Amino acid sequence: MYITIVGCGRLGSMLAENLANNGYDIAIIDRNAKNLETLGSGFNGLRVKGVEFDNDVLIDAGIKQADCLIAATPFDNINITVALVAKKIFSVPRIIAKINDPQKKRVYDSLAIETINPTELSAYILKTRIEEKLK
Amino acid sequence: MKSIIIGGGKIGSNLLKTLKERGYDVTLIEKNEEICRKIANDIEADIICGDGTDLDVLHDAGIKNADLLAAVTGKDEENLVICQIAKMEFQIKKSIARVNNPKNIAMFNALGVDQTVCSTEVIANLIEYEFDRDICKIVQTFDRGEMVLIEVTINENNRWLNCFIKDLKLPAECVVASILRNGQSLYARGDTQILLDDRVYLITNHATFLKIKNYLQSGGIPYAK
Repeated sequence: MYITIVGCGRLGSMLAENLANNGYDIAIIDRNAKNLETLGSGFNGLRVKGVEFDNDVLIDAGIKQADCLIAATPFDNINITVALVAKKIFSVPRIIAKINDPQKKRVYDSLAIETINPTELSAYILKTRIEEKLK
Repeated sequence: MKSIIIGGGKIGSNLLKTLKERGYDVTLIEKNEEICRKIANDIEADIICGDGTDLDVLHDAGIKNADLLAAVTGKDEENLVICQIAKMEFQIKKSIARVNNPKNIAMFNALGVDQTVCSTEVIANLIEYEFDRDICKIVQTFDRGEMVLIEVTINENNRWLNCFIKDLKLPAECVVASILRNGQSLYARGDTQILLDDRVYLITNHATFLKIKNYLQSGGIPYAK
């Protein structure tokens, strides 16, 4: 399975290393070379430096054969743009984007982009743990 | 007519001024508080300090009743997202996006943004036009080349010099629109004669433009296919 990850921040890099160690083919994109360096020499996936929603950059990162794309940059507008390009131009079968600002969830929803919402998840987990202690 | 501008940079603030002067009902959205204050001091208009990709901000700006939306921020991804929201969420009639990097124009079109303006490309074209000393050149392109306005400069070697319009052997997909002579515009008829230093303007398509250019520049067969 071929997975393209866009954004090599904390989430993107951790996911990339984890998936690569489990035998997936990974390509990761970031416009900042320093972010790509955080992956270390053990990472056996493809690193592509460039503007995240640029056609040529996405093609270099193998988007045409990708089974799945993860948009995990810290910018909602970039994640939305990448997700739309992947969906409408390259017809990637599965696309998941990370929501940074929970208020932007409605925008992702109205454009029919599948998302994860780390803030909401963290809040939910924290709440559950607090409630457990109270029992 | 109600319109919304997003982005208060040089383009946004000048656009606001122009539209206001023409009597439009305009609202401008800009993120930076300082810039908002500056524009508010210069121009009397509705200015909202906020994120143009935020649905509530767009709602407050009156997007529901807007006829036109112009996304002119310095970030292509922002302009794209705004136009997508305007279309999908608010069904706005017409949205225009500024594209900063000409490389992204194809992407905007593929994602269905009605209209794009790329200042980088416009400036590059203007400079190229100034350098272009061809006797036959494109002045304006409409609908991505479906229709073009071309200019033919009449110098002493031009085959059209001293010809009458009715004697020009023009291809079918072409019409003489006007002639500029000594800074005055003439509406050419069949009996108008083309003189030295005239500039002849024709409306045609891109393929025919190449035929005309080829005919005027080489001594080849007229309008060979």
